[in-house]
Amino acid sequence: MSATTAAVDRTAPGTTAGAWRAFNLQLALFRHVWHGTVFTSVLLPILYMVSIGIGVGAYIDSASVGGLTYAEFIAPGLICSVAVMMLGNDMVFPVFGGYADWGGHYLAQRATPLRPVDMLNGHLAYAVVFRPFTNCTIVAVVLAFFGVYASWWAALAVAAAALVSAAMAPWMHCWASSIKNDANLNMIFRFAVMPISLFSGVFFPASEMPAFLQPLVWASPLWHGTELARAATAGVAPVLPPPVHIAYLVLLAVTGWFAARRVIERRLNF
Amino acid sequence: MPNVNEILVSAADLRKSYGEHEAVRGVDFEIRRGEAFGFLGANGAGKSTTMRMIGCVSQPTAGTLTVFGRDPHTEGAAIRARLGVVPQDNTLDGMLTVFENLVVYAGYFGIKKKAARERAAELLEFVQLTARAKDQVSDLSGGMQRRLAIARSLINDPELVILDEPTTGLDPQARHLVWERLFQLKHRGVSILLTTHYMDEAEQLCDRLVVMDEGRIIASGSPRELIDTHVTKEVVELRFGTAHTRELAALAQSLDGVGAQIEPLPDRILVYTDDADDTNAALDARDIRPTSVLARRATLEDVFLRLTGRALVEDEA
Repeated sequence: MSATTAAVDRTAPGTTAGAWRAFNLQLALFRHVWHGTVFTSVLLPILYMVSIGIGVGAYIDSASVGGLTYAEFIAPGLICSVAVMMLGNDMVFPVFGGYADWGGHYLAQRATPLRPVDMLNGHLAYAVVFRPFTNCTIVAVVLAFFGVYASWWAALAVAAAALVSAAMAPWMHCWASSIKNDANLNMIFRFAVMPISLFSGVFFPASEMPAFLQPLVWASPLWHGTELARAATAGVAPVLPPPVHIAYLVLLAVTGWFAARRVIERRLNF
Repeated sequence: MPNVNEILVSAADLRKSYGEHEAVRGVDFEIRRGEAFGFLGANGAGKSTTMRMIGCVSQPTAGTLTVFGRDPHTEGAAIRARLGVVPQDNTLDGMLTVFENLVVYAGYFGIKKKAARERAAELLEFVQLTARAKDQVSDLSGGMQRRLAIARSLINDPELVILDEPTTGLDPQARHLVWERLFQLKHRGVSILLTTHYMDEAEQLCDRLVVMDEGRIIASGSPRELIDTHVTKEVVELRFGTAHTRELAALAQSLDGVGAQIEPLPDRILVYTDDADDTNAALDARDIRPTSVLARRATLEDVFLRLTGRALVEDEA
């Protein structure tokens, strides 16, 4: 049993190594569920484009959506929306379940050289980097067949989607790490994912929303991401200068990460 | 050759509080390399809390603790790299296969994929789960999951394996299989630290034991020392039909003097004695007629009951 002794690292891992080790669990889990993502990445965007982009789009005057076809208008938001949808899968139950007595992976990792911050980083690397850059890329490629891009700059829409993930994922991690009762898990879909998806200028310009809802639009990471993504795919100027949109998303990501680190460290100190 | 006198874990006046509740109230112990060390105690005695502090997942409130000569507070991750842990709840990943559980866990210790696969295969052989390698963990029985958790704890070739109630909740067959593997480990020179409720097994496996009660260590030593110090050579177990806790406590009063000590339990009375024949004769002389009498040698369980038994009776009453 000692044949592989030499291969064991007896020291504490560095930050990158720690995150990478924790990330590999998510990757192993992904291998069991990847086929499920075919629906969100391939079929869902096709359904959206056919039913809403083309179907509903036939009734929409392109002047009301900034001179674009309706399909061109919704395509960038769809790419970012898929990122938000995936967070609903990756950052709610898998986080809550990580602390569960009957098989929580965070509890298992806690007995190893991994620190709580490594577990957080590994999980975020999966949700914020791996998932957007694989699944949202597939979505973007599928949408290309609908002829909705103005140039190759459209590829940057995937980066915008990843930024939306980065802004939201740590806060969702905080939430799912904080609640004790799984009956409350769905609240994040009702009160965050769903309204954010509907009121972020994905399907109609956010400026059409009533004035009292405008602050919510401006707070929504998906709106900032969609503005950036639309600039990439359609070449239209976003509402704010791109660095401002980016700065807002980065600010949410950074503050969220510190908050999430605090929560997971508390949760895993017994 | 490992230095058997090397101290792996050292605790002095170790304490842990959760708010007002003091779970561990100042314990001192040392665990040496190569030994099997047991923590015995009723539920809530502070065993698991102590295990968690040694496992570097729980910060002591006061006192000093070193593991491998290092400070868990500042070097927790490096200490954990050298530990193997079997937690009370297996914390296996039900979505992954048996084999994947081991390989992914090996990754946490920085073990490369190829080495991880080889080691996983060896360990599955060791816990007799090779045939189930490709099954999902959720399809395994409780005993198999436990064995897998033990295999997982060995993935990094740990210098000390911590097992928190490794056999609780298993059926007798599964339990024997787990204990048999633990004996194997011990023979291979792996240092073992465990908590258990199964005294007979602890008596056979452990070189040294401590008995915890209400957050304190109330006795320590080898199983033989504990038996010699705290109980008599023999024990006579008396049962009185359906008589229960309170009736037995009353009956126990009338037994005064038939043995060195009388211990009423919820279902029987234990008479500690150096000579079971003398005790039986004394019972006859007093015309006390139990429905069953069993004379046997004293075991660790008697030590445990004698040291903590009264609390159990009070709980029942």
